[in-house]
Amino acid sequence: MEIYLPVAEMSVNWLILIALGTGVGFLSGMFGVGGGFLMTPLLVFTGIPSTVAVATTLSHVTASSMSGALAQWRKRAIDFTMAGVMLGGGVCGTLFGVWLFALMRRQGQMDLIVALTYVIMLGSIGFIMLRESLATLKAYRSGITVSRRPVNRGWIQALPFKMRFRQSRLYISVIPPIAIGFAVGSLSAIMGIGGGFIIVPAMIYILRMPTNVVMGTSLVQIIAVTAITTILQATSNYAVDIVLAGLLVSGGVVGAQLGVRAGAKLRGEQLRLLLACLVLLVGAGLLYQLIARPLDVYSLSEGVP
Amino acid sequence: MRRVLLAALLLVAAPVHAEDLVSGISQDTIQITSSYTGTDIVVFGAIERALSAQGRNIVVIVRGPDEPMTVRRRDRVAGVWVNRDAARFEGLPAYYYLASTEPVARIAPPEALQRYGIGLQSLTPTATGSHHDPEPFRQAAIRYHQRVGLYAENPGSIDFLSETLFRTRVPVPAGVTRGQYNVEVYLLRGGEVVSAQSTPLFVDATGLERRLFNMAHDAPLLYGMACVFMAMLLGWISSVLFRRPA
Repeated sequence: MEIYLPVAEMSVNWLILIALGTGVGFLSGMFGVGGGFLMTPLLVFTGIPSTVAVATTLSHVTASSMSGALAQWRKRAIDFTMAGVMLGGGVCGTLFGVWLFALMRRQGQMDLIVALTYVIMLGSIGFIMLRESLATLKAYRSGITVSRRPVNRGWIQALPFKMRFRQSRLYISVIPPIAIGFAVGSLSAIMGIGGGFIIVPAMIYILRMPTNVVMGTSLVQIIAVTAITTILQATSNYAVDIVLAGLLVSGGVVGAQLGVRAGAKLRGEQLRLLLACLVLLVGAGLLYQLIARPLDVYSLSEGVP
Repeated sequence: MRRVLLAALLLVAAPVHAEDLVSGISQDTIQITSSYTGTDIVVFGAIERALSAQGRNIVVIVRGPDEPMTVRRRDRVAGVWVNRDAARFEGLPAYYYLASTEPVARIAPPEALQRYGIGLQSLTPTATGSHHDPEPFRQAAIRYHQRVGLYAENPGSIDFLSETLFRTRVPVPAGVTRGQYNVEVYLLRGGEVVSAQSTPLFVDATGLERRLFNMAHDAPLLYGMACVFMAMLLGWISSVLFRRPA
């Protein structure tokens, strides 16, 4: 049951990896996120070096997003204009992120920055989602319908360089989508995530895109960003393990399809509530690792830092 | 000390009568394939012109290629554990396994062990890039390798098949680095090496694993694109396969 990973240079049980891929794929299909934020910490937990984990998880995210995006594309629920604009920022962000990744590795602070970024991102997004979904559920029970698209979009409306996004029925400045794309691109390189759990809330709460196109559009954006980051990580850090990627992806794509079916049975608010709990749980686990006394205060890294 | 002098005298004065060592290994290359989960090699040997077994010791050391390593120490800063001090070591082997007839401390005095490079404590790499006392960092590096099974001292693990014929089993775990290893066999008497032999052992990946590793380093752009293509293809296949029953 063991298989040798040529880049990670270690043997692992391939059944565990396929199961991991399926499990994370199931959750990503259900919630419409890539699942990188779960996969990277889990891989590190199984003993895979964090550089390889970060770089290889991206392929898993590409595959599950591809699977999901095709389903959305058949439903014509993708705003390609919006995805293209966001990707412009995404490419710059990715380049910045890979540069930062290499810099932090030299400084020996990579693990800390990755963990801190995770805790901050997961904590804040989980909290916002939890509050919002609870409020919606409460309003739903008391029979009040909450307007999802308020007319006044405040500061977003005041920005220049406006552009029409027909599929999203929006006429807004290109600055917020580019900025979101940049942020997600850099986080993608540092954390090994597609950024779905950041893009989706950003599209809903900041850009006020209609929920039906959010899923497909974010998936297209994620595919592009993870594909670019994989290639950059492969060329600059030699950290992508194709055997590991193949195992995770094989499990992931099956899990994602099953997850989509499970997710269809739940309502949007319920899904967001569950996702919020999951996100907060992972964040709390990582925070604990930062604060708790490590087993050995010394750590070792091979090669030249 | 008198015995040491005596042994040295014997060596110099009467080489004809000196004990000698002949040794070999069960295989001189280890191929890492996709199903590699670690293996054992057998190191065997014979003592020629053997004197009494009293005071005689055999030490077998398998040493991996040297690897530069950085050891970092975490300290608590504002409630969070942060990497602070670091020491960089050159000359620590990636793998070190020692089998001996007795615990090394009883075989020879510390200076002799140090001189011959016998025992984990004889691993004294050069420390650079650090303004601090490197000793706790060196101990941490040894501890780390022991924990993951790449460093070990295994006294009493040499089997004697006869008075002069011996063998021992050396584990080569899954996490080993590729490269040239050395199998060293020492015959000690009274704390001094009487005879020694060194045989190279090669650990290398073969077949697909080797080709993938080489491709990742020689053609990283193509390799990265292959990963992306594979991911997209599998994503597409699954979406087609699962379309019907939906």
